Amino acid sequence: MSPIPVITPAAAGMTPFGGMMTPEATPLPNTGIQMPEELAQPTATGSVQPTSDSFASMLGQFVSDVNAQQNISAQAVSALQSGQSVPLHQAVISMEEANVSFQLMVEVRNRLLDAYQEIMRMQI
Amino acid sequence: MIQILTGVDNSAAALTAEQTRLDVISENIANANTTHGVDGKPYQRRVVVFESALQQAISSDGSVQMSPVQVARVQKDDSPPIQVYDPGNPDADSNGMVSTPNININEEMADMISASRSYEANLAVIKNARTMAMETLSIGKH
Repeated sequence: MSPIPVITPAAAGMTPFGGMMTPEATPLPNTGIQMPEELAQPTATGSVQPTSDSFASMLGQFVSDVNAQQNISAQAVSALQSGQSVPLHQAVISMEEANVSFQLMVEVRNRLLDAYQEIMRMQI
Repeated sequence: MIQILTGVDNSAAALTAEQTRLDVISENIANANTTHGVDGKPYQRRVVVFESALQQAISSDGSVQMSPVQVARVQKDDSPPIQVYDPGNPDADSNGMVSTPNININEEMADMISASRSYEANLAVIKNARTMAMETLSIGKH
């Protein structure tokens, strides 16, 4: 199992989904809820600058977590193959964890893509 | 780091412990006829002692305590060596009696089956946890 390269959210085409979280451009009435400045004011291009808690950065964090799992599993397997005293089951379990978290990432991507395509099909 | 297969940590610890148990049983069987050990005395049977290690699992709503198993120690069985009459043996005493290890092969085989079944049970838990995770991921698939 080769480690997957780190995919930045922008490279993976995640920015359209980041844009989905853009709040309405009209100023909010005085409801007492304070919007963060960068979220309340979308930039001219319509995309949101990734903040620490934006959806895109959360997704990026998730992708790098999955990547870290893959790296751990690759390390365990190569340690096992090079004769270090790694238990067999530990290597296999880390491979399984990497596999399941990768599947989870693929599922998230599928749902996002479905939602995006649904919106693109929308008749206006 | 995302935690997907959480309960598997317990099973993995159990697998390691059972593996150690099997290693010790293999040592016992291999040395069943060793009349002259490292210390000059017949080999003494080894027994694995398991203990549960209290491990604090971090969770957002209060702490869930998990206690995976681990090998506390491998200790010697102090029952007396089995005396066998074998005057031709170099380790025989003046009466022709040889002290052979206090190992009963049948007992070791039974222990081995027990260790093997425990290992299988823990593997089944891991397999189940994985199946549950994958089934959960397929919610809403069409």
